[in-house]
Amino acid sequence: MTRTDFSDEILMRFADGELDAEISAEIEREMETDDALVARLALFIETRHAAKIAMQPLLEEPLPAELTAAVERVIAAKTSAQNESGASVLPFARRAANDRRASRWLAPVAASLAAVIAGFGGYWLGRGGQPTAEGVLPPTALSSPALEEALETVVSGEERQLSGPNQRFRAIATFRDNDQALCREFEVDSPDRSTVVSVACRAGAEWRVTFAVVARGDSGGYAPASSTETLDAYLTAINAGAPLEAEEEAKVLGGLREQK
Amino acid sequence: MSNAVKDVGERLTAFLPNLRRFAISLCGARDVADDLVQAACERALASAERFEPGTRFDAWMFRILRNLWIDQVRRQKTAGVQDDISERHDLAGASGEREAEARLTLKTVAEAIGDLPDEQREVLLLVCVEELSYREAADVLDIPIGTVMSRLARARKALGEAAGITTTTARSRVMKGVNE
Repeated sequence: MTRTDFSDEILMRFADGELDAEISAEIEREMETDDALVARLALFIETRHAAKIAMQPLLEEPLPAELTAAVERVIAAKTSAQNESGASVLPFARRAANDRRASRWLAPVAASLAAVIAGFGGYWLGRGGQPTAEGVLPPTALSSPALEEALETVVSGEERQLSGPNQRFRAIATFRDNDQALCREFEVDSPDRSTVVSVACRAGAEWRVTFAVVARGDSGGYAPASSTETLDAYLTAINAGAPLEAEEEAKVLGGLREQK
Repeated sequence: MSNAVKDVGERLTAFLPNLRRFAISLCGARDVADDLVQAACERALASAERFEPGTRFDAWMFRILRNLWIDQVRRQKTAGVQDDISERHDLAGASGEREAEARLTLKTVAEAIGDLPDEQREVLLLVCVEELSYREAADVLDIPIGTVMSRLARARKALGEAAGITTTTARSRVMKGVNE
């Protein structure tokens, strides 16, 4: 049988060794007589090769001593921490003071953490506020219809002013947890300049806040690094999937709204 | 249990150059990449028990690092941080090709990779450079394997055109169904 209609995808899979033996053999036979096929295939073989060559110098570059040292410290700290107590949150090695970016999200676990509420029990939104961790987080802070609406409409990467309590809502990401429940990571700024970094997951027809860190401070509506480190540890614990892409997120959020 | 931490720690040390390369190609700047690598190491060690022996360690690490990066980008975006991370100068500078004299209108391969849309570049890096299978790349990126293939094909066409890898332009016109 003669086929000249191999798609680009088929040819690419051939070039990447991702094609089954039968079709591979067919392509090989065809290549003996079809120059155009060879040329199309060459693109995929050569781009793979060229990409690898072009990225090789990055691999050979010496690692910055600072990075190696920092990672070694983290490893040493984690190894000893586990031997002693199984502690799970570690301070980050402080980077050079002149690194302006580092201060935003890699600062040491800091005093700016006013409260941490991280429980797999969590508490429920929209029930008039009966948080399991009494008094730590003002119940009104998260249980408002405005917040629920924001969770279902604001796409990740966008902000919205919540009506009522003068809070600013920022959607960070949408993902699925270990049990495939839909979760959203978000931040809420309050007028007192505190920021709540939070995760809410869908449970039935409700949003359940499963994680919240209140970060006080001077960050001007920007969760300080220490709170996001705690968040990272939490996301790891629930085995959070990668953030949904915009298209998928829009679909999922649209589906939630339709249920209403 | 502490064996898992020890194991991950040892693998991490050996894997740092690759992890850093991937980070640089994601964020395009070395200082940002180094922070990202550090954060990814931290997270990996904190969840060392979740790594399943027998599965690919590199894929696991790439996934952790990339998820951290996406979060960071969104935070910065919402915070209105103006950053120069869109310029991927570090990527092209790495190969030294930029300084090569006989540069006509074609870009170097490294430059062309740096210019790819993010979602194409990451697939290209994982499959062609880090040699993950389509399935493994799909798992790292949490996308269907079909999406991996379509993005990868687009990335390679763009790369071929930008860097002049296309073998014969006359023939490429004969190809059908390639331009979406």
